[in-house]
Amino acid sequence: MSEPLLVLEDITKKYGAIEALRGVSFSIAKGEVVALLGDNGAGKSTLVKIISGGLEPTSGRMLFEGKEFLAKTPAEAKAAGIETVYQDLSLCTNVDVVANFFMGREITRRVLGVPVLDEKAMEAVVGKALANAGTRIPSLRTKVEHLSGGQRQAIELNRFVHWGGKLVLLDEPFAALGVEQTRRGLEMIRQVARQGIGVVIITHIMQQAFQVADRIVVIRQGVVAGDVPTDKTSPDAVVAMITGEVLAGAGPAAQGQKRGPAQEERTT
Amino acid sequence: MTPRTRKILEFVLDNLVWFMLLFVLAIFSIFVPNYFQLGIFANIIEASSVLGVMSIGLALVIITGHMDLSVESVAALGAMAVGILFCSAGIGMGLQLRPEWLMVPVSILVAVAVGGAVGLLNGVLIVKVRMNAFIITLAAYIWVRGLVVAVSGGRSAQDLAPAIRWFGIQRILGLPLTAWIAIACFVVFSLIMAKTPFGRHLVMIGGNETATFRAGIRVTRNLIIAFVLAGAIAGLAGWLLAVRTSGATANLGVGLLFNAFAAVVIGGVSLKGGVGSLSGVYAGVLLLSSINTAINLMGLPANFTQVIHGLLVLAAVLLDTLKQTIRQKLA
Repeated sequence: MSEPLLVLEDITKKYGAIEALRGVSFSIAKGEVVALLGDNGAGKSTLVKIISGGLEPTSGRMLFEGKEFLAKTPAEAKAAGIETVYQDLSLCTNVDVVANFFMGREITRRVLGVPVLDEKAMEAVVGKALANAGTRIPSLRTKVEHLSGGQRQAIELNRFVHWGGKLVLLDEPFAALGVEQTRRGLEMIRQVARQGIGVVIITHIMQQAFQVADRIVVIRQGVVAGDVPTDKTSPDAVVAMITGEVLAGAGPAAQGQKRGPAQEERTT
Repeated sequence: MTPRTRKILEFVLDNLVWFMLLFVLAIFSIFVPNYFQLGIFANIIEASSVLGVMSIGLALVIITGHMDLSVESVAALGAMAVGILFCSAGIGMGLQLRPEWLMVPVSILVAVAVGGAVGLLNGVLIVKVRMNAFIITLAAYIWVRGLVVAVSGGRSAQDLAPAIRWFGIQRILGLPLTAWIAIACFVVFSLIMAKTPFGRHLVMIGGNETATFRAGIRVTRNLIIAFVLAGAIAGLAGWLLAVRTSGATANLGVGLLFNAFAAVVIGGVSLKGGVGSLSGVYAGVLLLSSINTAINLMGLPANFTQVIHGLLVLAAVLLDTLKQTIRQKLA
């Protein structure tokens, strides 16, 4: 793997007395797919929100492309090149597919100096993007509220593939997808990574993580409980890391992890 | 269902209020004596100009998923500001500007600025300080009206400067200029809502505020602008009111808020936000106005207007539910 794209150093997040993250450190390289695993409440979603600008960490720092980085809003993260697909879908169901695809980045042309939406250009782009991904939606002018859960998730996935950026965060992106759509989704992730984009995918399904990820990072009780290359571990070992019974060869243990550079020495 | 019938059905659903308006006008024309005259229709449009302009601002804010109860009082404040400055009798100061036409843009600017300032205050309190829109604008509804009464001392301003009055008298194609201003406002704001990124963002914020925030849309800024616009447009409605009545009284425009709400709801704007078009709102305003006219012509006591307006709002909400069901079947 090439130089790190994003480095997290000892990130903590407290909600009052509750410590959601107790010092998380790991890094993602360009073109690398990292699966973030962990039990419910382990702090995965909190971590994603910190990277994508929805939450500010209590302490710790992030380096993005070698520079200190902290996004106060999702807009800032987006400007830096970080795209996020959230667990609860981020679609406006009251507008059509095209409007959702271009949310916040509409193509405009100037009429008398006033920016006016260029609907034809946008529709063409969306049509092409969906066709490339093999997603079929009867009319791009249908309001999203009339679409099925799978179709909605497909729109979100296609949106991130289209906009790309430098780093993509996926928070359980396949929850509402069927078998075939999931397969396509995983393919899309590999395709995106081949373009040199870093991908972090949160999932509960071990099989998916092993299918798509280069490296598996396990979060347990707010710390990194394991950080191992996918081909050097097994589903059983990962399950053990998630539940807390650490096996030999499963990577660095939870203890000594908080301020240790141990995980930096991982084999690549 | 063929795509063609589907298209037609969608078109009818999108513009249902206009069809209702045509239907009602046809019924009245047949059954109410003397209703079918160009003069009557012109009158309907003229009578709906103040309410129409005010409804635009209200609709704008409701589409973003918020609420503005202060528009009626803000309009009165705008009217009173214009009245005090440019009226020559009563509490008017009789301000004169040379050349005379200069008074028109200055008076409009005064009304719009006064309204915009109240809107800005509302917007900042609601969006930045995160207070409830209903309460904040209810408070504004009360204090702004109080300000109008306090400033005027309960008295009125009469005899608006003729250069401004001219707008209420001069007609193009049988409609006074005030009505044309209202129509122009509807056209401009409909275009803004449908064709510009700003309008699109307002609709999307009304649909799912979290999603728009995550997508990097500047939600806070857009919402405050929406409140400022609502206030400014209400100020303009106040200017129209001053022109129509050639002055301002302390209780000018009382009750307009509820008509504006009725028009917005009848026009198909959902109070939940994210749904509705301004063209529908204009049809709603015209519908209310044409019913008022029919009641006048039939010589019914004016009290019935309120009963009918209320029933109409109920009918509009029921119709909206029906529309939703049909749309679900379409998709």
